[in-house]
Amino acid sequence: MSYNIYEINEDLKEFIPKEIVDLQERATWGNPKRGVMDLPYSKELVEEHSLCAGCPESAALRYILASLPNPEDTIIVNSTGCTSLVFPHIALHTVHSLFGNQNAVASGIKRVLEIRFPDKVKDVVVLAGDGATVDIGLDCTLQSFFRQERITTICFDNEVYANTGGQESGLTVKGYVFKMAPKGKQFDKVPMWQLAIDSGCHYVARLTVSSPKRVEQVIKKAIYVAREVGPTYVHLYTPCILEIGLNSDDGLEEMRNRDKERFAFFEYMTPHAEEVINKVKEECLL
Amino acid sequence: MYYVARVINDECSKYNCKQCTLFCPEPNTLMYNDEKHHAYVNEERCKGCALCVYVCEHLLKRNAIKMVMPEVHAD
Repeated sequence: MSYNIYEINEDLKEFIPKEIVDLQERATWGNPKRGVMDLPYSKELVEEHSLCAGCPESAALRYILASLPNPEDTIIVNSTGCTSLVFPHIALHTVHSLFGNQNAVASGIKRVLEIRFPDKVKDVVVLAGDGATVDIGLDCTLQSFFRQERITTICFDNEVYANTGGQESGLTVKGYVFKMAPKGKQFDKVPMWQLAIDSGCHYVARLTVSSPKRVEQVIKKAIYVAREVGPTYVHLYTPCILEIGLNSDDGLEEMRNRDKERFAFFEYMTPHAEEVINKVKEECLL
Repeated sequence: MYYVARVINDECSKYNCKQCTLFCPEPNTLMYNDEKHHAYVNEERCKGCALCVYVCEHLLKRNAIKMVMPEVHAD
């Protein structure tokens, strides 16, 4: 794939929607130094979508898509969840897998791309919710780590099955009550970031999306390490403001509060991953 | 109909922070005009969450953005 696929025939330009013209003229393709500081000026790779007003997941998607170092050669694999509502509006290759098998699908895509395009860098990024990553898809997620697949897995943790009405998930905090979990969660939140480390991930981070620049740094590190070393895992707290009873302008404050406790910034990297990150920093790409 | 964000240009242009453009959850909704030195809202894209007002008023202690009923819906 090349970003030239968005090049519009000049004779047809007057009939093309403005958003598509903008993708050609104002989007940040072909620049590995792209980042969240382009957001105030450039055309983003995500269009209008139907996530709720004030949804932190929506902000997370903005930051992630702005941070991809190589968007024209990035394939995103996603799974069922609120994020499914966004992927049809993204100007990248996306694959919607069955619920839970996103890491297996991504592994296959990555291997085939390495055979088909041996001289090109192709990044495969999994974006899925906590249900897909940790409950229904835990098997596929961990197996891809065990096999050392060179993919980046990003988990949007909202601590509940939000778009099906509020059932508890493995990442729900112990004791939390939701509309369809009236007795409260009976066991502890699964420490997925720790499982990722124990399963062989070379770069692991846990954070909220309250700091766009930090999200950019983490996503770039995860992708560069996945390219050259092995699996990487990013755990993002993106609370469902509706399910936890907050107003649309409360999401950021909720994340800032969690920054100080169970989602305090945590980063792990192997020595090999650190070498890669230092090399990328020397090239001023981080 | 619902309220949308609107930037108070004179107030916004005193600063160069662009923080609201980063924290707005919607893509290409709150943008920045470098020539005029202020943010602006694409009102037809705004979902009215008021997160930008929280950022400007509560976090930055400024008063450069407010929620208004868009003129097209005023009557």
